[in-house]
Amino acid sequence: MHRRDFLKTAAIAAAASSSSMPHLTYAEAPPLQGKVEHVISIWLGGGMGAMDTFDPKRVGDPQKKVPGSYYPSIETAIPGVKLCEHLKHMAPLMDRVTAVRTVNHHVIDEHAAATNFMHTGRPVSGTVVYPSLGSIVSHERGPAGEGVPPYVLIGYPNVTRGPGFLGARHGYLYLTDTSRGPAGLSRPTSIPPQRHSRRESILATLRQHQGQQHQDLLQDYEEAIDLSLQLSGPSFNRSFHLDEEPADLRNQYGSEFGQRCLLARRLVERGVRFVEVSHNLNFLNGTGWDVHNEGILQQHALIQDLDTAVSTLILDLQKKKILDKTLIVITTEFGRPPEFDAGGGRGHQGTAMTCVLAGGGLNHCGAYGETDELAKKIVTNPVSVPDFFATIHASLGIDFAKYLYDGDRPVPITDNGRPMTALFS
Amino acid sequence: MKLPSIVSNFIDIAHEKRHLFFTVLGVTLMCPPAFAEEVKPVAYWGFGQEESTPLQSHGGVHRDVPGPRPDRYPDFPADNIAARFDGKGARFTFTDPGPGSPFDFTNGDEITLEAWVKIDQILEGESVYLIGKGRTGNPGFARDNQNWALRIRMMDGRIRASFLFSSIHEGSSPPKNEENWHRWTSDQGFKKGEDWHHVAIAYRFGSPESLVSVIDGKQVTGYWDAGGPTKNPPTVDNDAVWIGSALGGSAGNSFRGDLDEVGIYRTAISVATLKARYRGPEVQFSSGLQPEEMPRLENLPDGAVQVTCHEGMPTHFRWLNDDETLPAETLRWQTNSFLMDRLPQRYDSWGIRENWKAPVLVRLAADVSLPPGKHRFLMRVRGLSRLWINGTLVARGVPAKGSQDGFEPMTPPAVPPKPGLRIAEHRQQEVSGEYEVTIDGKSRVVLETLVGGRDFRSDPGELCVAVETADGNSFLLLQPDQESPSHLTNPVVTSLLSQQNREMQKFDDQRRRAAALSQESFWNRRHQFARDWAKQNPVPSLPANAQQRHPIDAFLEAKIQSALAASSKTPLEEARKFHKDVLSILRDQCFRCHGEKTQGGLSLISLEAAQTGGDSGFAAIHPGNAEKSELIRRIRSDSPEERMPPGGAGLSEKERSVLEDWINHGARWPAPPVTPEMVKHPPVLNDEAFLRRLFLDTVGVIPTAEEVREFLNDESPDKRARWVDRLLADDRWADHWMAYWLDVLAENPTLLNGSLNTTGPFRWFIYDSFKDNKPIDRFVTELVLLKGSAYEGGSAGFGIAAENDAPFAAKGQILASAFLGIELQCARCHDSPYHSTKQQDLYALAAMFQKKPVTVPKSSRVPAAFFENQSRESLIHVSLKPDEPIPPVWPFGELTGSIDDETLATLIQNPADSREKLAALITAPQNQRFSEVIVNRVWRRLIGTGIIDSPDDWEGKSSSHPELLKWLAQEFIINGYDIKQLSRLILNSQIYQREAIRSTLPVSPDMQFFIAPTRRRMSAEQVVDSLCVAVGQSMDVEEMTFAPEAGRTSQSRLTLGVPDRAWKFANLANERDRPSLSLPRARAIADIMEAFGWNGARQSPRTDRETDSNVLQPGILQNSDAAVLLTRASIQSGLADRAVNAVSPEQLVETLFLSILNRVPSEEERRALTPILAEGFQQRLLPNAEQKPVQFPDPLPVVTWSNHVQPEANSIAVEMERRAQAGLPPDPRLRPEWREAYEDVVWGIVNLSEFVWVP
Repeated sequence: MHRRDFLKTAAIAAAASSSSMPHLTYAEAPPLQGKVEHVISIWLGGGMGAMDTFDPKRVGDPQKKVPGSYYPSIETAIPGVKLCEHLKHMAPLMDRVTAVRTVNHHVIDEHAAATNFMHTGRPVSGTVVYPSLGSIVSHERGPAGEGVPPYVLIGYPNVTRGPGFLGARHGYLYLTDTSRGPAGLSRPTSIPPQRHSRRESILATLRQHQGQQHQDLLQDYEEAIDLSLQLSGPSFNRSFHLDEEPADLRNQYGSEFGQRCLLARRLVERGVRFVEVSHNLNFLNGTGWDVHNEGILQQHALIQDLDTAVSTLILDLQKKKILDKTLIVITTEFGRPPEFDAGGGRGHQGTAMTCVLAGGGLNHCGAYGETDELAKKIVTNPVSVPDFFATIHASLGIDFAKYLYDGDRPVPITDNGRPMTALFS
Repeated sequence: MKLPSIVSNFIDIAHEKRHLFFTVLGVTLMCPPAFAEEVKPVAYWGFGQEESTPLQSHGGVHRDVPGPRPDRYPDFPADNIAARFDGKGARFTFTDPGPGSPFDFTNGDEITLEAWVKIDQILEGESVYLIGKGRTGNPGFARDNQNWALRIRMMDGRIRASFLFSSIHEGSSPPKNEENWHRWTSDQGFKKGEDWHHVAIAYRFGSPESLVSVIDGKQVTGYWDAGGPTKNPPTVDNDAVWIGSALGGSAGNSFRGDLDEVGIYRTAISVATLKARYRGPEVQFSSGLQPEEMPRLENLPDGAVQVTCHEGMPTHFRWLNDDETLPAETLRWQTNSFLMDRLPQRYDSWGIRENWKAPVLVRLAADVSLPPGKHRFLMRVRGLSRLWINGTLVARGVPAKGSQDGFEPMTPPAVPPKPGLRIAEHRQQEVSGEYEVTIDGKSRVVLETLVGGRDFRSDPGELCVAVETADGNSFLLLQPDQESPSHLTNPVVTSLLSQQNREMQKFDDQRRRAAALSQESFWNRRHQFARDWAKQNPVPSLPANAQQRHPIDAFLEAKIQSALAASSKTPLEEARKFHKDVLSILRDQCFRCHGEKTQGGLSLISLEAAQTGGDSGFAAIHPGNAEKSELIRRIRSDSPEERMPPGGAGLSEKERSVLEDWINHGARWPAPPVTPEMVKHPPVLNDEAFLRRLFLDTVGVIPTAEEVREFLNDESPDKRARWVDRLLADDRWADHWMAYWLDVLAENPTLLNGSLNTTGPFRWFIYDSFKDNKPIDRFVTELVLLKGSAYEGGSAGFGIAAENDAPFAAKGQILASAFLGIELQCARCHDSPYHSTKQQDLYALAAMFQKKPVTVPKSSRVPAAFFENQSRESLIHVSLKPDEPIPPVWPFGELTGSIDDETLATLIQNPADSREKLAALITAPQNQRFSEVIVNRVWRRLIGTGIIDSPDDWEGKSSSHPELLKWLAQEFIINGYDIKQLSRLILNSQIYQREAIRSTLPVSPDMQFFIAPTRRRMSAEQVVDSLCVAVGQSMDVEEMTFAPEAGRTSQSRLTLGVPDRAWKFANLANERDRPSLSLPRARAIADIMEAFGWNGARQSPRTDRETDSNVLQPGILQNSDAAVLLTRASIQSGLADRAVNAVSPEQLVETLFLSILNRVPSEEERRALTPILAEGFQQRLLPNAEQKPVQFPDPLPVVTWSNHVQPEANSIAVEMERRAQAGLPPDPRLRPEWREAYEDVVWGIVNLSEFVWVP
């Protein structure tokens, strides 16, 4: 495949954007230049409670409605940084991880709005449809390899992960089933290969007899057909053959979510720039991370699932020597309060929550920022969502102060975000 | 009651309400109410203003609220004060003085309790405390220690008096079944309302028959409805007296409302005295429900089921009380069976969708022939229902229940009443009953059911009545005409329902149009005004060559001729050089601000303009002298404040010298170079291609093979014009326009919670409007006026913008870009840097829309940090001060020609209403922008390129054919703003019917000649809808809802119905990432649409979708589940039928081409495909004996919002996804090997790029 063709036709390929618009710059120059090449962004839909995971506090009592953590905590590789006892595989790796415990926002406690905010870093305006972080990274850096899409979503498609004003070519390819590859670019399993060959040969014959497709516009589409036939063929789709991986490793990754993380690593190796992996398995406890009422009873199963997969991913990336150039990000739409609801579960809390960074060659410190004794209020080093995004941009070497353009209109790449400089040595 | 006599020393106090006045026998004195007999209270509380008392308040108790007062309650002082209780445990408490206190009552003691109450809220089934002793939940006391209590209870919509105590029980401890609780409740009660009521009860403990109760001056009857009467003594202890609550402050037992004059007496006051205590309005009591009788319905139509609706029943959980009357009948229609799955649409007086006033009593009634003998009947209903036959009540349904949030247990699929029969829908009640017919002849059957409610959507579910067959093996739908019995099977019911649905749609159309007639005379007047205005404001007349040509073609030709003439004046080379080298620099670098727009007063659009110069007074261009030209000075300036263009690197050295050379050589500005070859017309489309294009442009789908054959065989010379008329009259015209307006108006309904700028589903308003071909000025007016239901399809849904802090500014932006070509996007937060629009304009528009001054919300302000970080003066300016109220004033008078003056009064029904004014100012004929914007939109949609090619932003854009645009706008106005008429004009022109071309570059307006339409790809909706038509299969997707049981209102969980056209889809976003909130079959179709540029989450308006080709488009058509299923010869599909009925392989190839590409195949194509289908063609049909019966999978429990977090919901969702992928099974009649080859051929044709292009 010619790279030029891919760029021209792929909805999924990035192209550098240039604009004749004046480039408005911040007075201060961006000093930070990370070395990250890829991002694996793990999304915990529903809202992960920090005090039950990465910011444990004193144990509470859901029956007696005494606020506090649901589980006891354990020590980690970093003295003084504790995790909930169900993150026992993560604990020894915390020297490669920073739990940012003071992320905060004030978006109304509605999942869609908060999810949007945690993907775009902005509230909905109705005038500009903002691009997601993945789309911005795709726009700024393009794919890291030939013939691959820059941005893949392993989870349900959603406008909040979309390209906004950057346009469809900075959107994602998505898949929900790790055994199948992305919708539209993997062969349907119901059609056996020999039938597919016949189909392609019929199509090829008919295309040959079509005389009049010489107009440029139509030619573009013809090229897209060629490319789609190629991409849905065996070559690219091999990335999705997880059975090529050693059985031991697959077992270590664990559940379907673990397999998604493994697939993310394979995609990164192929040159995909940004992979979002959704941890959406509410089979485990019914509500997923949205642990209202009895949803919380099986929350530990979710935490263990996350622990197994992410710790394996960190070690696997390290073994493959790509941990330093792959940034793992764990985000969620909001945290949860220390208090318990009538059913013993928890409500929503956006004003103090934890997001996690791992790998990417950052100067990790186990935990960043401090909350009060119940993880309800931020005590030191608050990190706004734009700050958190600016940190990710900086780690990728993207100018966190630059402007993107919605047509004529300059839009700062983050909403006045500043990177967490402590993570850059 | 405060009669000023009796015990004078208390009267004054009570009268003046200086003290909260309580007395305890032996402690203070007693209270003095006006009794014929003299009775003294143990305690009496009047809740005055300033008292200091041992009463303690807890929670939300408020003094100073008005009590009962004259004139309504003449016995009270004019400034009477009462106490208000907020509920949730709000109460007064009084500590019991100890053993033997005057508050302790036991057998032989008499007691009277009374109070004045005004109810704020009480729910059905609740019992709330006015006053009671014991049962406080205080530590150290038994839970069942109620000595006495006066309560009120809400039962069947009536507020009743109730007395409660617990008796000292003998035997087992604790007592079983709470048998020691004794509760008396009155049969009668009053309705909720604003009035005060007096409630009193008198009793002698140990004598259960002694209980009397008086409410509002009337004695009421009642009975011991819990625990029964008892002679056992009541529980006595030292627990406290509470007013307004009990049980530790339990919310469900707490009084919400106002209380006054609460009294306790140790006497059983006589009924006569208690009656005299009330002086006030006469209150109607009800003792309960009206007797159950089959409604008398005279003269039912012969052979039909008559359905009637009565709106506004009191509540969904009971029938009428004896003092209530049946609301008037609002609608009546006839149907053919006792079957129904929706109510007709409800329309307001303008014909715009609005909500039913729920609950709605729906009655289905018919005279049905039933043979004498015993019959078993089956009724399926959603809510409270009863089925009568010949006056006998045969079956009852219970009230509908609300929905829970996710945790509801899964409902297993219903069991069919007999094997092979259709099962009851999710959460429909199935009730059966028996009845013996004794009469010979017709039996009268009446079904009454309550549909919807305060908290429910008005959706009856699939409702039916069926009767068991004599052999006991089946049920037949009850029908007045039993000649062709309808078994209760899936095929029969679905077919009847779809037939019914067609009838219902006609019924809806007819009523909507009738209602819309109420506005007809107003609009006739307006359109007459518009025609008069047009006469007085003539437009360019038709060009001289118009006789032989369609007027549109005449205008186009005139421009071509004059351009050729102008071009001939300059050698082509010179003109080309200027336009290619010089003008391109000006256009790219300068025209953004100095073209049609004149920043700093300067325009560079022509040599004359440039020589005139701008505000500085310096000529931008001095022909022959670059040095003296201001333009050159500014592009060469080093000063960042002076250099042009501002920002960036400026012009290249080469560009600068090109401009200098040109000026030094005299700055000649020749007309564009045009040659006859450049304006040569491509040929007119052949019939096949014309028909496909015409179908796609009018009804949004490709024609069927039969339609293509019919058209090709039509030999009349005017067949194109006739087919234009035929398709313009097709209802699918409305479907075709939907995608366009949904995008332009940013319709964005949500299946879950409102968020991310979601709106109501005003798609239905748009659809109805285009179905009725509503004149566009009227359409826009009704849109702006936000009429009808916000969540069930009225234009009011446009007014919603969830989580948007300036919803009306957002809507103002949409209106301006959609209908005026004015872009206000920037103005939300600051003045537009490249437009003349200001913040003020947008917020003034918003204020008109909102009918009051508005201020810029905080979140729409540019942060101060932004300006601090600028190195050069910012291009953006914030001109509005925070918190500055912007008044509702029309900002676009100058721009549009539409002025807010007295002439407007004739265009408005209510001139004081700024929103109506706004609508009129947009749509008035004086607003030439409006008519031209609409004309340009329609033109652009049909021709592919606009006369002004930026449909929503006209500022700084020039028109390629200003005369044509004006002339078309005039025609449009004269024809009453009729879009169909306008389309007819364009569709009949030569330009429309020519072979499309693709211009490689954007064409500048002066070089735009419209020699042919622009080549277009099908829209996402057209791809999906056309694919369905091509393969003869309907879209098989889920209902767009997460609340199929209608257990909530539309505001929180709506339904958008089961889509049969692609535009009916909506955002399927699954924000919580839960498998159980996915609709897998719909998702598969949405994937196709998204690849082709559709986006269900329309957060902001747009006219153009992205049209670039991308790899996912062919990919999704080749590989997606939906595409695989649509190209399968599945059971009962069009593809299967075509194969079964094919005469020969040759003919089948031709049919496929006609169906999919709407043309006959070429010889090569025939030769390529025929052999594939010929192999095994003769044996393609399996003999019946060899056909494997098709097995349909068992129904699954329904996953809804209510149960979606149950673990089972997820496994069901995964199974649904698996089934969605599997799809309908192949048609068993076809031999699999041949069928597969056939499907592969279909797949090959569908995946040709030709399929997705409009010819």
